[in-house]
Amino acid sequence: MQWDSRYERHYTLPGFGPVAQGKLAASRVLVVGAGGLGCPVLQYLTASGVGRIGVLDFDTIQLSNLQRQTIYPTASVGQLKTKVAAEQLRLNNPSIEIIEHPVRLSKSNAVEILPQYDIIVDCTDNFAIRYVLNDCCVILQKPLIFAAIYQYEGQVAIFNVPDGQGIACNYRDLFPEIPDANEAPNCSENGVLGVLPGIIGLIQATEVIKLITGLGDPLVNKLMIWNVLNYQSMILEITHRADFHIPDIESLDIKQDVNGDQGHGGDIDTIHPTEIEVYLLDPKVCLLDVRESYEEPKFPLAHRGIPLSILPKRVDELTAMHIIVVCQRGQRSVHAALYLKEYFGKKRRISHLEGGIVHYLNYKKAE
Amino acid sequence: MKIKVRAFGPLLDIMENEYFIEASDTKALLDVLLQQFPGLAGRKIAIAVNGKITSDMVSLQDQDTVALLPPYSGG
Repeated sequence: MQWDSRYERHYTLPGFGPVAQGKLAASRVLVVGAGGLGCPVLQYLTASGVGRIGVLDFDTIQLSNLQRQTIYPTASVGQLKTKVAAEQLRLNNPSIEIIEHPVRLSKSNAVEILPQYDIIVDCTDNFAIRYVLNDCCVILQKPLIFAAIYQYEGQVAIFNVPDGQGIACNYRDLFPEIPDANEAPNCSENGVLGVLPGIIGLIQATEVIKLITGLGDPLVNKLMIWNVLNYQSMILEITHRADFHIPDIESLDIKQDVNGDQGHGGDIDTIHPTEIEVYLLDPKVCLLDVRESYEEPKFPLAHRGIPLSILPKRVDELTAMHIIVVCQRGQRSVHAALYLKEYFGKKRRISHLEGGIVHYLNYKKAE
Repeated sequence: MKIKVRAFGPLLDIMENEYFIEASDTKALLDVLLQQFPGLAGRKIAIAVNGKITSDMVSLQDQDTVALLPPYSGG
């Protein structure tokens, strides 16, 4: 490992040293949600030298976020969180890799994104996405560093990491069924002290570092509650529920998820596989495959390939007036198209291929 | 048997953060609480007895502490 003065205080720290630093550099961590919790997690994991950090969020920056989401400059209001956060993080530490995922987490994109990382950090702000993330992490056996906040208090836990007895708990061991949103209103409805997510997010970042380096006693199968008003904290032992039903892989039915997402991608111009070849006769049209380069089958028509995970970094390479986005099944292409629409505004026409390459090849076979 | 009950988060809109109650097990304790605080009905709450979260019914001893933990959603 190359000596980097940036990490000198880690190298000289007893119990840490260059070996632990090397473990951080070799790790890949996905932060889901770039809000109050996500900002400090991202900032400190970046500064600490985690080798690859993914930022996942579909939202844009609001002025009311800035009271606690300290990574965003005031001038960035209205811009995509993933884009601005990634820019700031790259400035902070150019030697690590920052990947942007400007998408709303769903079962189908989780199956594609989560396997690219070793540890997942739950910084989401609603139950619906928390449960999707929890279940996907159980199925994919990904360590999940959970935290959630309410007004002046935070909860932190580590899930899906087996303890000494081989038992790994998850969020459904605490709350098997998804609560009603009104059981715990989020920050926008009920307010939150600005420093609270900073403190709780840093506990999450600490747990990530401890888990990667083997340092100390991480909160595996334990729930910590931390109160900012009286500094009282409690660590509670979580018991695995024998009656807990681990969702099977069938529950990650992509079709079901596409239906669930229709409202979100509803305003994206859709092109049917029967029409695509006609569109491509026009030189102003560019076909853009947003799958990873290793994915099969290859698309048989002339196209550009920029994976969704690095699209924000290379978006300026796209000069065509009409971009048609394709992916495997027409799911990631909706997310990419939404991103491109946001980026280019009305200057370009953005469409996506319905049903993706799978649908197109089926249609060609039947033809 | 006198049991100390501690409540957290949004439950404090319904009840005090510390409360003493007579109950012989967690089921009896919840029944009494539900009678006194009907707002608890239907809520998802994890229960910890002396620092251990469990979904099983647990017999309680004098001076035990039961924590009522609601889910938080904020991030």
